[in-house]
Formats: sequence, structure tokens, C-alpha cells
Amino acid sequence: MDQKALIEQVAIPILQVLIAVAVVPLLILYLQLVERKVLGFMQVRLAPRRVGWHGLLQPIADAVKLMTKEDTIPAKADRFLFTLAPIVTVAPALAALAVIPIAGTPFEVLGYQVRPWISDLNIGIVYLLAISSLGIYGIILGGWSSNSKYSMLGALRSSAQMISYEVPLGFALIGVMMLAGSASTVSIVEAQRSSGWWYVLPQIVGFFCYFISAVAETNRVPFDLPEAESELVAGFHTEYSGMKFALFFLAEYTNMIVVSSIVTIAFFGGWLRPFPNVEALSWVENGWVFATPLVLGAFLGWLAGQRLGSLNPMIVGGALGALLGFGIAVADPGGIASMQVPVLSGAFWFTLKVSFFLFAYIWFRGTYPRYRYDQLMQLGWKWLIPLSVGNVIVTGLVMLLVGRP
Amino acid sequence: MSVVGQRERREGSPILDALRSMLLLELWVGLWVTLKNQFRPHITVEYPKETVELSPRFRGVPRLRYHPENGEELCIACHLCEVVCPDDCIHIVSEKKPDGKGKRLVSFEINYERCCFCGLCVDPCPTKPLTAIYMSHDYEMADYKREGFIAPLKTLLDGVDPKDYKE
Repeated sequence: MDQKALIEQVAIPILQVLIAVAVVPLLILYLQLVERKVLGFMQVRLAPRRVGWHGLLQPIADAVKLMTKEDTIPAKADRFLFTLAPIVTVAPALAALAVIPIAGTPFEVLGYQVRPWISDLNIGIVYLLAISSLGIYGIILGGWSSNSKYSMLGALRSSAQMISYEVPLGFALIGVMMLAGSASTVSIVEAQRSSGWWYVLPQIVGFFCYFISAVAETNRVPFDLPEAESELVAGFHTEYSGMKFALFFLAEYTNMIVVSSIVTIAFFGGWLRPFPNVEALSWVENGWVFATPLVLGAFLGWLAGQRLGSLNPMIVGGALGALLGFGIAVADPGGIASMQVPVLSGAFWFTLKVSFFLFAYIWFRGTYPRYRYDQLMQLGWKWLIPLSVGNVIVTGLVMLLVGRP
Repeated sequence: MSVVGQRERREGSPILDALRSMLLLELWVGLWVTLKNQFRPHITVEYPKETVELSPRFRGVPRLRYHPENGEELCIACHLCEVVCPDDCIHIVSEKKPDGKGKRLVSFEINYERCCFCGLCVDPCPTKPLTAIYMSHDYEMADYKREGFIAPLKTLLDGVDPKDYKE
């Protein structure tokens, strides 16, 4: 192996891993701010606004608080397992990021080829399913080693829930793998490009099964029985504080990002832009210059939230951002607007889609009450499993009759 | 009772009902409600920065008034408020005026720890047309020490500068 190949195949992936592990927690800090903001707006209140401009430094304050807090271990807890549990939870969550491609085309930096994914496993989806179900061990260990009844109950619920929802989770993705003829995340998106439609259309049932089970798998509302703050104090992490709690927290939000990415990749065409055949929309492809300020402006307006009287700050921010983008596109400084950067436009669409599903998570949290335990089991075993198995059978039959689309 | 309930349940046809639950109609309606709510103007008041507008008849802490013309305290030291106070929180010391007619205040203290904001002290106050003691619009009375709740004459007349709240 010569030096160039060594750098391309070893050094750059290691760098990418470091970047992912460093950037994702930061993203999560702000995801949490967005969650609190959106929840606040949904409940017609203001959400954090005191730390920094409109509360923009709130996550930093939270992080500092979590890191400097006393890290207590209950006297009768199993100290080794108690410490091990958050690590076991967070490691698979971060490992799952390895196979998520954020754009389609490799690009060159300083003459070296960089791929916008860490690894393109040929069993990417299977790897994701396997690794994400490992995280549950951490939750069970944490609940058991705390030696507390609330933690124990939370862990028990969590394990029952995971076992029930792991099945439809896998089956829902089998339809996609059959259509794409591959389990690699990159080839699934490429197959969607060549087939001309996103798999959400032929796999609408699979999409719903997957997303519902994934929400249950990440222990989020309305399936947050393991945490259930109104019943179990805080569920499996009742006894955790400080940095160990922060790790559980990190794992939960990383799982949310991973699940949103899988939904995007498997059902919504990953980094592909919508309506690739509509010529009128092709400015969007190069128009990331235009679209990025628009989205950023709308996002900032939204964060600022409800301070502009009857005007909708999100629309105002979006309009200002669009104007800025339009200005850039017209003035075209340095030919930036007409520049073709497939990585950037791919990453833009990918981020946009992932953000939507992250928003959906928060949206559900703001809307739905928690499922009762028996309702949860009923939904899992009586609805999702038959539906997802049926989906696989119907997909197979149609593919047998019509052939691969 | 049960008849009414049954009739309500029969309103939709079973096919429509089944379709409704198949399409998760209630869930979509719920999502729509929360989506709409995000764009409603907020009603939260960020308290230390903003304050709500008080009604004119708002009863805050009882305070004393200056005489509108000569700038002295309006109170004629009749002790009626002290007598009527159900919590016994008003303490007045008075002396004869040097020129012989009437009395004047030496000290006037209200213990806000005991005050129940009933406003009974205002009713018997004999000064006309304004009462010497009145229910003010002040309501920020937090303090670090118990002594801070016993308001001397100066506080009662001038109120508290918010900057004075220091440990």
C-alpha cells in the first residue's frame, strides 16, 4: 500500500470518526435547545430565553452544569456495572454513525479523495440494526445495577419494548433492501436515484412501520415508558447524575439522529433532491447558496420566536434569508452561485430531510400522551409485526409479477 | 344516560369509523393542533424585564401618602388603623405637636410579615379626600432578612428602590 492509499483508507476515516464523535455531541446540545424551543412554542410558552441571545447559549450552560456536577453512585449499587452501563449505551449509538452517508459523491481535498461517509459496508442496514439493538444492554445494566425499584422497572419495560419493536423494525427495512437489491446505505440511495422514485412511495407501509417502531426503539414519546417521568421518576437513569447521565442523554439523542438518517436514506432518497425531473426546480440543485440562508433565516426566526407581534417570525426570517440568498445569487461574488458542488447540495438535502424527522420526533413529543403498557404491546405485536411482514410478502409478490422497478 | 351514549356512538357508520381509525385521523388532527399552536402569539410575561399592567384597584402593600400641598406626611396619628388591623402589624408612636393642636408621627411601622393585605386599615382613615394610608401598587417585597419586612416611615412614604435588594 503506497502512502496515498494509506492516507485515503486509514488516516482520513480516522479523522472522520474523530469529527463525527466531536461534532455530533455539539449538534445534540443544540438539538436539545431546538426541542425545548419547539415544545415551548407548541405549548404557547417562551422556552429558554435567559442564557445568551434568545437562550442560544442555554445548551452550553447545560453542558457545563452536567460536566461539573457531582457524580454520585448509590451505596448499594454495583459500582462496576453502574459505570459500565452508560458506556455500553453510548458506544453503539455513536458506532452506528459510521455507515451513514451524508452526500453521494466523493470529493478531493489536497489531492486526496474524501468520501462523505466513514464506511460503506455492504451490510450497512443489517449493521445498523445489529448495533442499535446493542444499546439496550446498557439500559438494562444501568437499571439493574442502580439497585433501585424505579430504575429496575424502567429497564424491564425497556427490554420488553425493545424485544417487541425490534422485529417490525427489521421487517420494515427488508422491503427497502428487496427493492434496492442491496443492504448498503449508499447503494440504497443510488438505487432510488436510478429507479426514479423515493422508496417512501412503494414502501409507504414499511415507512410507517419503521418510523413508529424506531420511535419506540429510541424510547421517545409516545413510547417513553422506560423513562416515564410521571410514573417512574426517570426510569432507568433515576440514580444517574453528572457525566454518566449526560452519556445516557447523548445516546438517546444520537439514536434519534441515526434513526432519522436511516429513514432519510431508506425511504426519502438520502442526499437526492426532490423532483429531479422537473427542470423548473433545477436552480435548487445549484441553489444551495440560495436555499441555505433561507432555511437558516427561517430557523433563526423560529428560535427567536413569537416576538414580532402578529407576524410569523419563521416566515419573516425565511423571507429575509431568501432575500439574502437571492442577493448572493444575483451578485454572484466569485461565481459562488453558479458553482456546482454536489457534496454541498447533497449534504444540504440530507440535513434538511434529517431535520424534518428530528422535528417530527419533537412534534410527537409535543402532541401525544404516553401509551399504556398493554397498548404498547398490542400495537407492537398485533399491528406492526403483521403489517410489516405483510408488507414484505406483498413487496415480494409485486416484484415477482412486475419485476424490479 | 346509557341510551344517549349509545346514540352518540351510532352516529358514524361502522365503515367510516373503521376508516377513520385506519387512517389514524385523530393522530393527524392532534399533530395539526400542535403545529398551529407554534405560531400563536405568546402570553408569557418575562417578569423581571416586563411586568403586567395592574388594575387600578389592585391591592399591593399598604403605604403612606405625603400631604399633596405642604409635602409633610398626611397621617394625623389618630391610631385608627392600628386599632382596626386584624393582624396587629401596624405600630404607631406619636407625640403632641409643639404648637398644641393635634398629634404628629414619631414613627410608623408596618410589619409586612404579618400583614394580610386586607385593606381594613384604609377604611377608617379619616383624612379627606385622600386617605393617609392606602393600598399601593407595590408588590415586590422579597428580602434576605426578616428585619427587611418591618417597614419604617421612610419606606412607607417613599417606597423601595428596586436596586436596594441586595444581600
